[in-house]
Amino acid sequence: MTIWKLRNNNPLRKSYVTNNIKINEFDALIRITVEMSKYLYPYIREILKSKEDIEENSVIWNDFNKRFIELIKERFNMESMRVKKLLNQAENDEIIIKSLLILSFCISNQGYQKLKNFLYDF
Amino acid sequence: MQNKLSFHQSSVSLEIIGLPDYSNNENKDQISIISQWKLTLVDKPLIEGKIEHLGPIMDAFYIYSNLLIKNEIPIYESKLIDIKADNLHIHNIILKSSKPNVKPLVLKIGNSLLSDTINCFDQLNESPKVRIKKTYIPTNIPKKLRFGFNKKVKFFNLFISPFIAICSLILFSSSFIYFYSPFENIEKKELINPE
Repeated sequence: MTIWKLRNNNPLRKSYVTNNIKINEFDALIRITVEMSKYLYPYIREILKSKEDIEENSVIWNDFNKRFIELIKERFNMESMRVKKLLNQAENDEIIIKSLLILSFCISNQGYQKLKNFLYDF
Repeated sequence: MQNKLSFHQSSVSLEIIGLPDYSNNENKDQISIISQWKLTLVDKPLIEGKIEHLGPIMDAFYIYSNLLIKNEIPIYESKLIDIKADNLHIHNIILKSSKPNVKPLVLKIGNSLLSDTINCFDQLNESPKVRIKKTYIPTNIPKKLRFGFNKKVKFFNLFISPFIAICSLILFSSSFIYFYSPFENIEKKELINPE
């Protein structure tokens, strides 16, 4: 329930609530993300790999991209320019790949600190 | 008898060969004096070298991966290794030999192999069994944000209202402001005193 509420701090979501996220809540979200990345690393890796060979039909990438767009349309505020950018097929490849790379670089024991630093640097 | 330690991540494995530092009363299975290392990437030639090459190669991978995700130009160049992005998915690695008359080794790796390699290096850095000079890992929060996320938000909230107020005041008043123009003044004086 708490995590569900925390998700609403994302200004891109339809259900955005202007609560200032606390530092310990922010840390908890990073820890959950890192643990999920560790668990999902084989899948993240396969998605990245499927896009590497241009000649090969990247089925995994297409499935992932399709689901990603479906989720954004379902849950994000479609009026926002940033959301429109996420849905733009020409631009969203780079955003998705960089996001997946960040997750894949943060699966070590120091992953929490690494992800935190990446996020602060944005 | 030398110790061997291996770190694996999907298609990449890193092997460290060396000895413990007995003068420091270290355990038998510890490696502090690295004599050789081997980096194996599936379907690519074997990369191996001495300890003085391992640190710079790890640094190169860490710095390059940081540039890649920070929207900066992903290029790393040094005497030993160059890494450049061919495109969003493929990275070009040039390993230059320290021996004369040896052609540089050129490798093309994708994002999956890049992340496997970074994770192998992370495992080595975190291993308690290998003592290695710490390589470049951006573990410190940049100085500009060191005072903390929550404090940053509070600081932002504190100044955002007066800042917007000042901006709107400047924007509004700029439409009525009288700009002094010396040429207009000279013309006016000439009209008053036609002499």
